[in-house]
Amino acid sequence: MLRIEGLSAGYSAKPVLNGVSINVEAGQFVAIVGPNGAGKTALFKTISGILQPSGGQIMFGDADLLMVPPAQRAHLGIAHVPEGRQVFPSLTVMENLEMGAMTESGRRDWKQNIERIFEWLPVLAERRGQFAGTLSGGQQQMLAIGRGLASSPKLLMLDEPSMGLAPSTADFIFERLIDIRKQSGLTMLLVEQRVAEALESADHGYVLEAGRVVLEGNNETLRADDRVRKAYLGM
Amino acid sequence: MEGFLQALAAGLLIGAVYGLMCVGLGLIFGVMRVINFAHGDFMMLGMYVAFYLFTAAGVQAFFGNAVGPFVAILLAGPALAIFGYFVHLTLISHVSGTRTASLEGEGHYAQLILTLGIALILQNGGLIIFGSVLASIRTPLSSSAWELGILSDVSVFINKARGIDAVVSLVIMTLLSLLITRSRIGKSLRAAADNPTAATYMGIDVDRAHRVAFALGCGITAIAGGLLATNYPFHPFVGLEYVIVMYAGVVLGGMGSIIGAFWGGMTIGLVQQMSTLILPTQLQNAAIFVVFLLIIFFRPQGFFGRMVERT
Repeated sequence: MLRIEGLSAGYSAKPVLNGVSINVEAGQFVAIVGPNGAGKTALFKTISGILQPSGGQIMFGDADLLMVPPAQRAHLGIAHVPEGRQVFPSLTVMENLEMGAMTESGRRDWKQNIERIFEWLPVLAERRGQFAGTLSGGQQQMLAIGRGLASSPKLLMLDEPSMGLAPSTADFIFERLIDIRKQSGLTMLLVEQRVAEALESADHGYVLEAGRVVLEGNNETLRADDRVRKAYLGM
Repeated sequence: MEGFLQALAAGLLIGAVYGLMCVGLGLIFGVMRVINFAHGDFMMLGMYVAFYLFTAAGVQAFFGNAVGPFVAILLAGPALAIFGYFVHLTLISHVSGTRTASLEGEGHYAQLILTLGIALILQNGGLIIFGSVLASIRTPLSSSAWELGILSDVSVFINKARGIDAVVSLVIMTLLSLLITRSRIGKSLRAAADNPTAATYMGIDVDRAHRVAFALGCGITAIAGGLLATNYPFHPFVGLEYVIVMYAGVVLGGMGSIIGAFWGGMTIGLVQQMSTLILPTQLQNAAIFVVFLLIIFFRPQGFFGRMVERT
């Protein structure tokens, strides 16, 4: 579904991504792990068009993503749940969800989507009239995920949903994501620093270090790998 | 007593039009954070468009002297909105929106200089085309009044043109707030203002949202300008007199709040008229800024500004 080949990108002249190739098949849950500054967020920003690549190719289905203007990419079925949540603070929870549903498919499926989102993340239903800026960090993260789901995406990209959250809240959000995936069969691409949890639930994983993919494989291969065990799992 | 009520009425009437004028800038400066120093001059253009539509384009002949001016004024709105749309497309978009989102100051320095330049072109271009003779949109309503008997011995006179001006302002303000708060396009404008990057992730074309807001802001202020022109004569440099008031109103109301900009403008209108009770008229504008400073001293975020960090 998403095929990234030899992607290079950077901020100004400083390269952040260096020939990254990643493949996400329909229905897969793919995790990208790695330390701070490895280029994980830059990769997502390049997929969403906020960052211009200096080389490489991104295919989404049959579409050459680099030829699609950034604001059009959501309409192809890519939902980006950004790092640091980035909800719209002066809009209510409900209005934030409506913004998620700006795409044609989101508008078409609005009724059933909103029902499912409220079922998965009931706190959003409770707070639907509240301004998003007044929510707690965990609630904002749930709103950001709900907003992503509201577009009826083909691919849900999650950029560090656990960032800055209390461990128990992060655990809860992880469980929700796994439930959502089980019930919807949605294709997911996750970037995470909580390597153990990410690799446990994903079908396939990539380890990104200093802008390169240093390792990839299914979750057993990765979790059995000595480097991963030492560097990330603390074993 | 009568003098006080008369000044209060005059303040409320002019305040409603000032409010509408500030709302136009509020969309551009408050919500989209684009500095537009030419906004007063867009308003001046709106006044002349209304003036020529009324006198030369047959609106006067068709609608008469009473209704005609207001028809011409309302038509000036869309005309200036289209003009604003193209100014944004060809000039402003190069120094605002996603193109400058990553720059220090979000392109504000370039916006400042560019829009000052546009202001100079409009002022001096206006001088060449329209001449320096004072113009005004005359209607017989400007020189007649309704008498409101509040008590048996106290009555207040409402200038008919100003009364209708205020009503038109309130109606347009209501329609605009509905558009901004309820409609899909209004919500996407607010989302684009809140967080342009996240709005792009939602599939909102942020630059287009900016353009729509800019056009809307120009159209709204043009209508307010036309309404002012039924009572105040104008000339190609009239924008300078109003642009500072507009910025004061937007800041007073609170950055990012449309309804706040309206109340900011209303406050300025009230202060301006009420100050004449105790101060010589030459000090009207000084009174505005004394009150402005006082309010900002106690409430730096303005009436409706919220102390939240923008993401």
